[in-house]
Amino acid sequence: MLKIERLDASYGFLQILWGISLHVEEGEFVGLIGPNGAGKTTTLRSIAGLLPPKDGQILFKGQSIGGTPAYKVSRMGVSYVSEALNLFVDMSVRENLLLGAYSVRDKKRQLETLEFVYSLFPRLKERENQLAGTMSGGERKMLAIARGMMSNPQLMLVDEPSLGLAPHLVTDVFQSLQKLQQTGVTILLVEQRVNATLAITNRAYVLEHGRVAMEGPSSELMKNEHIKAAYLGV
Amino acid sequence: MKESTSFTRFIMNKLTRNLPATVVIALSLVLMVVLGAVGGMSQVLNTFVTGGMWALLAVGLALVFGVMNVPHFAHGESFMIGAYVAYWVFNPIYQTLGEHPNAFLEVVAPFIGFLAAAVVGFVVGVLLERIIFAPLRRRTKSGWVMNAFLLTVGVSFVLTNGFTLAIGPNFRGIPRYWNIDTLTILGANVSADRIVAFFLAMITIFALWLFLRQTRTGRAIRAVSQDETGAELVGINLDFVYVLTFGLATATAALAGASLLFMFQAYPTVGGKPLYFAWYVVMLAGLGNVAGAILGGFIVALLQTATQQFFGPSWEDVIPVAVMILVLIAVPSGIFGSEVKGVQEQ
Repeated sequence: MLKIERLDASYGFLQILWGISLHVEEGEFVGLIGPNGAGKTTTLRSIAGLLPPKDGQILFKGQSIGGTPAYKVSRMGVSYVSEALNLFVDMSVRENLLLGAYSVRDKKRQLETLEFVYSLFPRLKERENQLAGTMSGGERKMLAIARGMMSNPQLMLVDEPSLGLAPHLVTDVFQSLQKLQQTGVTILLVEQRVNATLAITNRAYVLEHGRVAMEGPSSELMKNEHIKAAYLGV
Repeated sequence: MKESTSFTRFIMNKLTRNLPATVVIALSLVLMVVLGAVGGMSQVLNTFVTGGMWALLAVGLALVFGVMNVPHFAHGESFMIGAYVAYWVFNPIYQTLGEHPNAFLEVVAPFIGFLAAAVVGFVVGVLLERIIFAPLRRRTKSGWVMNAFLLTVGVSFVLTNGFTLAIGPNFRGIPRYWNIDTLTILGANVSADRIVAFFLAMITIFALWLFLRQTRTGRAIRAVSQDETGAELVGINLDFVYVLTFGLATATAALAGASLLFMFQAYPTVGGKPLYFAWYVVMLAGLGNVAGAILGGFIVALLQTATQQFFGPSWEDVIPVAVMILVLIAVPSGIFGSEVKGVQEQ
């Protein structure tokens, strides 16, 4: 579904990604882990169209999307839940969600998805008319993920959903991602919580210094000596 | 009426949460009553007609600033273009009416002028956005607010001087749109032109409000004003929103210029005064705050009329600006203060 080949990306003269190659198959739940500054977010931003790649190829369903503007990538069925969330803080939860379905022109389908999203996150239904900016951190994360689902995406890119959340909320968020995968959505998850990520993903890539250092099924990576030493602290 | 209640609820929310706004509004009401008692009903009506006009202009400014982060100083030229278009469309019709009287056309002719002004305004807005701001946006985003500001000032110079060069500095005006006797409202005389200008402003603002609140495209415009990246990520084409916003703002200013042709004759620098008053409103109300701009329009108009009544017309600029300075010292973000993304440079 998603195939990245030798992707280079940079901010100005500062090159972040050096020849990243990865692929995500349909229905898969893939993790992208690594330390701070390894280029995880940059990879997602490149896929989402927020950062034009310097070199290399990004293919989504066989079509090249490298350098395509973000709004077009979004309309093709890629949904990016950014680290900063980018919610519309002066709008209600409901308005945020309806904007998530901006590219869905069918009103009936919008409302169906809205009901479905509310069933996944009952909390959001309770807060339907509250302004997004007045919600707690955990609720905002939920809202951002829910908004990302509203366009019925085929591929969701989720960036550090656990960042700044209390531990029990992290479990909630991860569970909702698992539920999401069960509905048939393909997910590429960027995380620093290596343990939790390897526990729920099918496969994972380890990014270090802008390069793919390791890849494989999550269950195998969990047993890997390097991973154990560097990330799991055992 | 679901829409109007949401509007009142919005205003009430602002009032209860916002002390400076409540104080200013309460003082304005007192001033209004005093003005009515001393100057008579005609001054109160004056306030409403002028206020409607400032509000219409200020809403455009607020929209452009909120969505595009452009401090628009060529807004007065949109007003000027509207005045010219209305004159060029209305006057020929008016001349032929002298030879072939037609009661229906007599009533409708001014509206044809208004419509033409709004359409031309929209087209001019779209072209300006594409020719002026789009290239700047592609080039660099650093120093955007300052660069955009300078560009609008430049556009203003080019347009006023271009018009002077092309058609000369002559005044082109009309005595009145509708040849109807003045109406008497509570002892005050008002011309039909003024009443129409007021209601046209109110209806346009209300329509714009409904559009922004209730439609998919309107929601997209508000989304861009709150979070550009978020808007892109949900599939909103930013360029489309910018073009539409600038077109709408220019169209509303042109409409204001057209509907006030009987007061402000068309000449190249006619936009100066409306521009400055619209800016007083926007600064007083808070940059980028569309709802606040509406109330702000009436408050500035009230200050203006009260100044004329109590100090004489030559103080018309001094007192409102002095009040504005005092308010901004107390509440730097304006009385309906909203945090706008562009105030602190991105």
